[in-house]
Amino acid sequence: MIRFQRRPVRPALTAAALLLAAACAPASDEPAAGAPADSLRGLALPEPLAKPRMVLADTDGEPFDLRAETEGRLTFLFFGYTHCPDVCPVHMGSLAAALDHLGRETRAATTVVFVTTDPARDTPERIREWLDRWDRDFVGLRGTVEEVGAIQDSLRMPRSVTEAPDADGDYLVGHAAQVVAFAPDGRTVFYPFGIRTEDWVHDIPLLLDR
Amino acid sequence: MQWWCSVRAVAWDWTWRPFLGVWVLLALLVAGYVRLRRCHGVGTRGHTAAFAAAALAFWLGLDWPLGALAGYLASVHMLQFMLISLVAPPLLLYSIPPGAWARLAASGPPAWLRFVTHPLIALVLFNLIVFLTHWPTLVDALMVSQPGSFLINASWIAAGLVFWWPLVAPAPARPGFGPGLKMAYLFAATVTTSAPFLYLVFSALPMYSAYELAPPIEGITKREDQQVAGLLMKLGGAVVFWTGIAVVFWRWHRAEEA
Repeated sequence: MIRFQRRPVRPALTAAALLLAAACAPASDEPAAGAPADSLRGLALPEPLAKPRMVLADTDGEPFDLRAETEGRLTFLFFGYTHCPDVCPVHMGSLAAALDHLGRETRAATTVVFVTTDPARDTPERIREWLDRWDRDFVGLRGTVEEVGAIQDSLRMPRSVTEAPDADGDYLVGHAAQVVAFAPDGRTVFYPFGIRTEDWVHDIPLLLDR
Repeated sequence: MQWWCSVRAVAWDWTWRPFLGVWVLLALLVAGYVRLRRCHGVGTRGHTAAFAAAALAFWLGLDWPLGALAGYLASVHMLQFMLISLVAPPLLLYSIPPGAWARLAASGPPAWLRFVTHPLIALVLFNLIVFLTHWPTLVDALMVSQPGSFLINASWIAAGLVFWWPLVAPAPARPGFGPGLKMAYLFAATVTTSAPFLYLVFSALPMYSAYELAPPIEGITKREDQQVAGLLMKLGGAVVFWTGIAVVFWRWHRAEEA
């Protein structure tokens, strides 16, 4: 059996030693990033989709032509709504965190486009305020339910479904949970819910061919 | 109905939810303490107050709302750890009436208890459990289910009891484990628990998928949540361990003067 031996140690000396050792404790430890692999963590479509032809109003009320505005850029397109309790804020938060982590050059080559599926509640001001929680450069677009539905059709995504309101008038909007990435080289990659910040950090440089 | 808290895929709201498992645990704890007092004497008011404080810490840490929020925020999960592993166990051990300790000492503690409560073993076990129960792979695997979450909480309680036993419990007697070593023991814990603090605070990306993908809580980002968790471990742990050091030192000083 292990036993500690009693040694005569003065209380004050012990206290001083403990305080000195505490002052010398390490202050930081930056973990190393994992080595990037070649394969994407998103689902790359074997036959890439064309960026949808869409011109919707942005949060300043100006028309935003997706194809023209994002020509040659890595573009993330997501359909959601600002009252979404789970998927939308998680996607926006992790994308913003990843772009923040990857630095200015990557951000400059990337556009994140959020299209509301709840135009009744998502005013331009509300969308802007919501997106600004994560990134002021994220683009927010708003169109009619029919316009947005047609864009979803072109991407072979299910149309959003607005559920019946509860007693308080609140309601949920069922919508596709994936982010669609259009790489500058024409690849189309789907990112379902469950994709993490570390996955974006891994994939974005690959999508930008860096 | 949930019997124990866990990570949930539904958005957080402030609707009260009962956790029956927590109530059963607390009921067993109270019943056990009442029985202990009947058999071995009631002890002092201090013992009773310590038990009440321990039960309160367990209840606050495990029941709604902290227990429920621990399924959404890593920082609250850490607060839960502090309460049920660092605060409640020493109070619980202290609350045991002297008659019960005397009985244990007289009958001779079982070998396994002597082994796991040996200071060196206890320190290693505590740190091993703290490390494993904060390891992302394990947390992500366990926190998504109620039995898994219960396992983590039960491990924390066990680790806390084992860690505090050599410091608080008078049996088994360890005359070689004097005040100096007790302070060193507590100080060692402040150093070893720095590892989770460092990787939580300085990790550039969220470490736990369970919390990264959980429905967000307004007002705190995932990264901030993780950093607060790390700071809680470091600062909260420091407060507890240094309070322990101060108590040992004060008792030692008083004994030297007597």
